[in-house]
Amino acid sequence: MATSKATTASVAGPGAAGRAADMALVARCRAGDLAAFGELYAAHAGKLFSVACRMLGNPVDAEDILQEIFLSAHRKLEGFRGESALGTWLYRLAMNQCLDYLRSRAARTSQLTEAFDDEPALHQPGRSGLAEQTVARMDLERALAQLPAGCRAAFVLHDVQGLDHREVAEALGIAEGTSKSQVHKARLRLRGILGARGR
Amino acid sequence: MDCTRYSESIDDLIDGTVGSIRRAELERHLDSCGDCRALVADLEAIRDAASSLDPIELPPRVWLQLAGRLRQEGRVTATPVPTSPIARRAAWLAIAAALILAIGTSLVMLLPRLRPGAAAPATGATNSPAQVDGTADSTVQDVETEFRMAEQHYQNAITKLEQAARLDQATGGGTPAGNQAAIDPQTAAMLQKSLHVIDVAIAESRAALRAEPQSAAARDSLFDALKRKVALLQDTIALMNEMRKGNAAGAAQIIGSASKS
Repeated sequence: MATSKATTASVAGPGAAGRAADMALVARCRAGDLAAFGELYAAHAGKLFSVACRMLGNPVDAEDILQEIFLSAHRKLEGFRGESALGTWLYRLAMNQCLDYLRSRAARTSQLTEAFDDEPALHQPGRSGLAEQTVARMDLERALAQLPAGCRAAFVLHDVQGLDHREVAEALGIAEGTSKSQVHKARLRLRGILGARGR
Repeated sequence: MDCTRYSESIDDLIDGTVGSIRRAELERHLDSCGDCRALVADLEAIRDAASSLDPIELPPRVWLQLAGRLRQEGRVTATPVPTSPIARRAAWLAIAAALILAIGTSLVMLLPRLRPGAAAPATGATNSPAQVDGTADSTVQDVETEFRMAEQHYQNAITKLEQAARLDQATGGGTPAGNQAAIDPQTAAMLQKSLHVIDVAIAESRAALRAEPQSAAARDSLFDALKRKVALLQDTIALMNEMRKGNAAGAAQIIGSASKS
């Protein structure tokens, strides 16, 4: 039976040298150096934009949120002490912005997305057979939009961006075990949505 | 069979983090449980699809808008007073960034009420006599007024962006940096062609709107064409900026993005 490949992308950076480089860049940004902030943006904006698009479901809102994320980062760099990697710290800002936005959008439209955030059954009748067909990326993108925000966030960070559970936990401000259970829920829900579509 | 006790091991198997003892135990279970075998196969298919999702392309205008906001709020080093052609070029780019910010802000304020869902009551009011009352008339007028304002904002934005792009090209034309920043004929032709296509779309949408002033589809089409023109002009300025910096990769990314629009 095929086993999984290990997660491929980490935000932890290359250890002490990476942290030192982060702190040097942050010091230049704090001094008001726009070019330095441009370097920080170039290094992190692409992946944060992808995450925001998948969290919010459309690129127009994601562009607005990305600006808010980096404006917020610029304001908060004063308090950045390098305890976590700069990438992880930015992921946390990004996820907070996205989740706040989704909460306010849900409040405006009276959606109750989290009301469905219970544990799906491990085995669901008729929910299988995905392995025999390729899961189309477009189908997966659409199915992602139907997940409750909490497990969508964990799934996007873990299975799409390749963060490990410790990094997901740090980015979402949750326990590592909670990250695991949210990814588990997301996978089972996606299986249900994609399986129902394929029949 | 109690499969739930294997649920965590299955996730760890999918992640490649299951230990050897739990793995052996899980494999014994999988040998005898078709449901769990199917589950593992499906979750692997989902994980493979998730990890192969492409990054979503980030439009260059986001940085221009962000830099404009940081400058406007005085949070980054101010651009020096322009004294040389190169400095004048940089100043134009700063102005363009601030301009894009101003355009974005004004349109964000105007557009939500003009989107299709918001415009629907106006078009509905003309079709249903029961709804033709003072309130409906007032809503129609409000939407009409806001539509005209939004269109005017777009038009102003386009005029200013065109001026910024033209002046940016003119001020650097005779300098070494200017030569570096000059857009090659093929790219210039592509941008001109895109602008022409958008201009045709704008003209056709305006004609449709003149023929049917209440048509939400014609309004959406006009806004879409105007928005595309603003975005293309923003990309043109961003392209000049990248070429001025000698950033061939950044310029290529913008050209790729603009050619899709």
